[in-house]
Amino acid sequence: MISSTTEKETAAAKAMELLEEEVAAGSLSDAADIHYLTKDNARFHKTEGKMLAVTVGEETHPVVYVHCSFPHTNKPMYLSVRTVENKEIGMIHSLEDFPEETAQLLEEQLQIRYFTPEISKVVTVKEEFGYSYWEAETTAGLCRFTVRSGGGNAKLVTPVRLLVTDVDGNRFVIPDMNKLTDKEYRMVELCM
Amino acid sequence: MNLNFSLAEQDRSAAVQAVGTEIEYCVPANLSLLGYRAAGYLVVGQHKWAYIENGEAKESGVIADSWEYKVIPLIGNVVLETEDEQGKRVLVRSTMEHAARFGYIAQVLNDKSAARKIRIFNNEEEAACVKCGGRLVAGTRVCPRCMSKAAAFKKLFGVSKLHWKALATGLIVMIAASVIALAGPYFQEILINGALQPPDGQSPSMKLFYIALAAMIGGLVIGELLSIVRARVMANVSSNIAADLRRMVYEKAQSLSLGFMTSQRAGDIMNRVTADTDRIRQLIQELCTTAIYQLIMLIAASALLFSADWRLACIVLLPAPIVAYMNMYIWKRVLWKLFHKQWRIYDRANSFLHDVLSGIRVVKAFGKEAREIKRFRTYNSEFAAATIKSETVFNVLAPITNYLIQLGQYFVLLLGCNMILNNQMNVGELIKFTMYASMVFGPIAWMMFMPRWVANALISIDRVFSVIDEQPEVLEAEKAVRHTIRGEVSFRGVYFGYKSYEPVLKDVSFTIREGEMIGLVGHSGSGKSTLINLVSRFYDVNEGQITIDGVDIRDIQQDDMRSRIGVVLQETFLFTGTILDNIRYSKPDATQEEVIRAARVANAHSFIINLPDGYDTLLEENGNNISGGERQRLAIARAILNDPPLLILDEATSALDIETESVIQEALQRVMKGRTTIAIAHRLSTLRNADRLVVLEKGKIAEIGSHAELVEKKGIYYKLITAQRQMSKKEQKEELAG
Repeated sequence: MISSTTEKETAAAKAMELLEEEVAAGSLSDAADIHYLTKDNARFHKTEGKMLAVTVGEETHPVVYVHCSFPHTNKPMYLSVRTVENKEIGMIHSLEDFPEETAQLLEEQLQIRYFTPEISKVVTVKEEFGYSYWEAETTAGLCRFTVRSGGGNAKLVTPVRLLVTDVDGNRFVIPDMNKLTDKEYRMVELCM
Repeated sequence: MNLNFSLAEQDRSAAVQAVGTEIEYCVPANLSLLGYRAAGYLVVGQHKWAYIENGEAKESGVIADSWEYKVIPLIGNVVLETEDEQGKRVLVRSTMEHAARFGYIAQVLNDKSAARKIRIFNNEEEAACVKCGGRLVAGTRVCPRCMSKAAAFKKLFGVSKLHWKALATGLIVMIAASVIALAGPYFQEILINGALQPPDGQSPSMKLFYIALAAMIGGLVIGELLSIVRARVMANVSSNIAADLRRMVYEKAQSLSLGFMTSQRAGDIMNRVTADTDRIRQLIQELCTTAIYQLIMLIAASALLFSADWRLACIVLLPAPIVAYMNMYIWKRVLWKLFHKQWRIYDRANSFLHDVLSGIRVVKAFGKEAREIKRFRTYNSEFAAATIKSETVFNVLAPITNYLIQLGQYFVLLLGCNMILNNQMNVGELIKFTMYASMVFGPIAWMMFMPRWVANALISIDRVFSVIDEQPEVLEAEKAVRHTIRGEVSFRGVYFGYKSYEPVLKDVSFTIREGEMIGLVGHSGSGKSTLINLVSRFYDVNEGQITIDGVDIRDIQQDDMRSRIGVVLQETFLFTGTILDNIRYSKPDATQEEVIRAARVANAHSFIINLPDGYDTLLEENGNNISGGERQRLAIARAILNDPPLLILDEATSALDIETESVIQEALQRVMKGRTTIAIAHRLSTLRNADRLVVLEKGKIAEIGSHAELVEKKGIYYKLITAQRQMSKKEQKEELAG
């Protein structure tokens, strides 16, 4: 008799735990409260001052900025639309969810915010006195820049993607280290 | 900082047309909105601005038509935004290279737009190389392209001069050692030619044999002894020079302003004091022992070779550089890279290990042991593979390179034997010759590597001297006076910014009376801490002045002034040492009674006396063996030991729980009596005893008055205090409900 009561109690306790877990699991997404902007609930447009504005429901936000959650690994997804006061208006699940015109507009804003020319060819990297002097062909043209050695100024953000930050704070990226020629690889490797 | 770039003729005429004849500011805006680099400039005239690109004014406007010019830092670029009647708009875009310039320009445009006096203090120096005109990297003083190696060495020799006697001794010993080493083959020749195989017509002489043998043994022994002496002398000299450098860097670091010290990470300075000076020590040691010795040997052995037989000498010496170069090439291009890769993998594995082992609680808490084992296995096998590869290559290449180096000797043997057979040479001469030849290869091979380590050492020399040559920002006035502070502090039209285009304090004017307690109130970033940094003169004001008892603080001797100001910060720092030493820090000659008195005033005495070792308790690093409240009380005791007439409390009790805070508040009340006190506190209730409160808002004084006056005014202070009260009420309610 005693044992059956204990069993019942244990079962009840387990059920409670499960219930609590369910509640906890349910509450996480509630707590996160992601408000997704879609083509149905948000309208983006460019202002005369070349800035991005968005109308959500009745409210129009005259200036918003688009931030990337994963600028290196998944640029067009999980974008956050924020005001200059850093208040989030909402998130965009994927640029693909929007008509091409809007997607292009948002893409343009991303390009403005994240200015990171891609290095297509490393011409020279010369290391001297704790700094390396780079000359590289990039998507923004031929660039010469100086990188402080060490301190994570050239770091792999994914196993193949190298992010290089110069002394001013300009960023350059080598999208795929494996695509470099042997000579380029050797020059770049010494700075990592 | 250059804020007025000169324009090409075409651009200039377009600019003049757009903004008028007087171009006041002109900065590059080198990035288009579409992301390509542009040769554009933002030009500011008296009333108008314009964006000039390729000899054409692409855009222009009247400055006063817009307001709120602002630099928005984006990722890897900045944009200059403004607002006009139609809303916000982007003016221009630039790479990070010119970001600071736009900071200044935004300030200029705002001042112009509001018809104010332009307040930029353009004293941020634009580091440019005097020689090549190229931009210098921020934080360095020498242009890496133009830095002459001679200049760096000259600096080093300047420091080494003090030790010239020891250096000269080392040099003499070295020359003696090389003479003895070079005499070896000569005696060998005597030994062979005199005793073992005398030339035709001469009989072997045992006497000569013994003399030669004794000379060779003696030379060996004396040579070894001299090398011991040489090593000792040079170790001494190089360590002493490194010690001098360490002392210079450390002393300089102490005298530099807080601005410099916070801009350089503490670890970086520590590196310069320890690692870089050590690298310089190695350089001196290497230079004065190996390098000079190798050089002497190379020159002397080559001279002897040529005097012995110039044809054979040519055979030995001509291929030597080629062989040595090949050797270096193999090392540099193949082996070094392999080892470099191996080290990198090793480093990665190491930091992974460090990471996971120090976070082992987290690993266990999430039950991820299996995953971590798998990850380590990957690193481990990667490292093993890299090691195997580099070791295999090394073991193949090392014998080959050694063989290459000695190749010349085989040629000598070949030709020498022929010459002996033709009676052009005897055995003794050949042996002497090959011994000299073997002395040449070592130095040549060694010198091939010299540029690499000299370059490395030069970096260290540069880093060390960049601190030593740094000029302190806060300078002692020439006629600085000692001034016994009474405690009246006055701010008169003070403007200040860590970067002068971003003023943190604007037009701050007020006077703190002697013995008055002032509470500084405001949101974070409103300039409270900056204000007290200025009172301590960690920085100098950009405009206006701060006076203490009517004397400008820039005219008061810095040490003297700071020793009369007691400071208690939120983050207390206690040094390793006893409690007694720590309290005594502000006045090293304080008596034990004075220390106890200070501790009693700070409510610290009772906890100290309960410790088994009392005031002799040894504190661990940063006082980690006592509680936060206890540390704070020691900090207060330390601040008041010197009986300072001016007391600064920067969030002195914010990090403590309410109970501890009340104990410390009580102590502070006693301490503050009769002293001028400036206190910052997050919890406004802490400041209820202040005579007056100064409310700062965005760097300006928004309100000033007593608690009652400010509450009555119902301004910012009132809002802050009601918000805090509501918060604590809510907390209380929740606690009661819970």
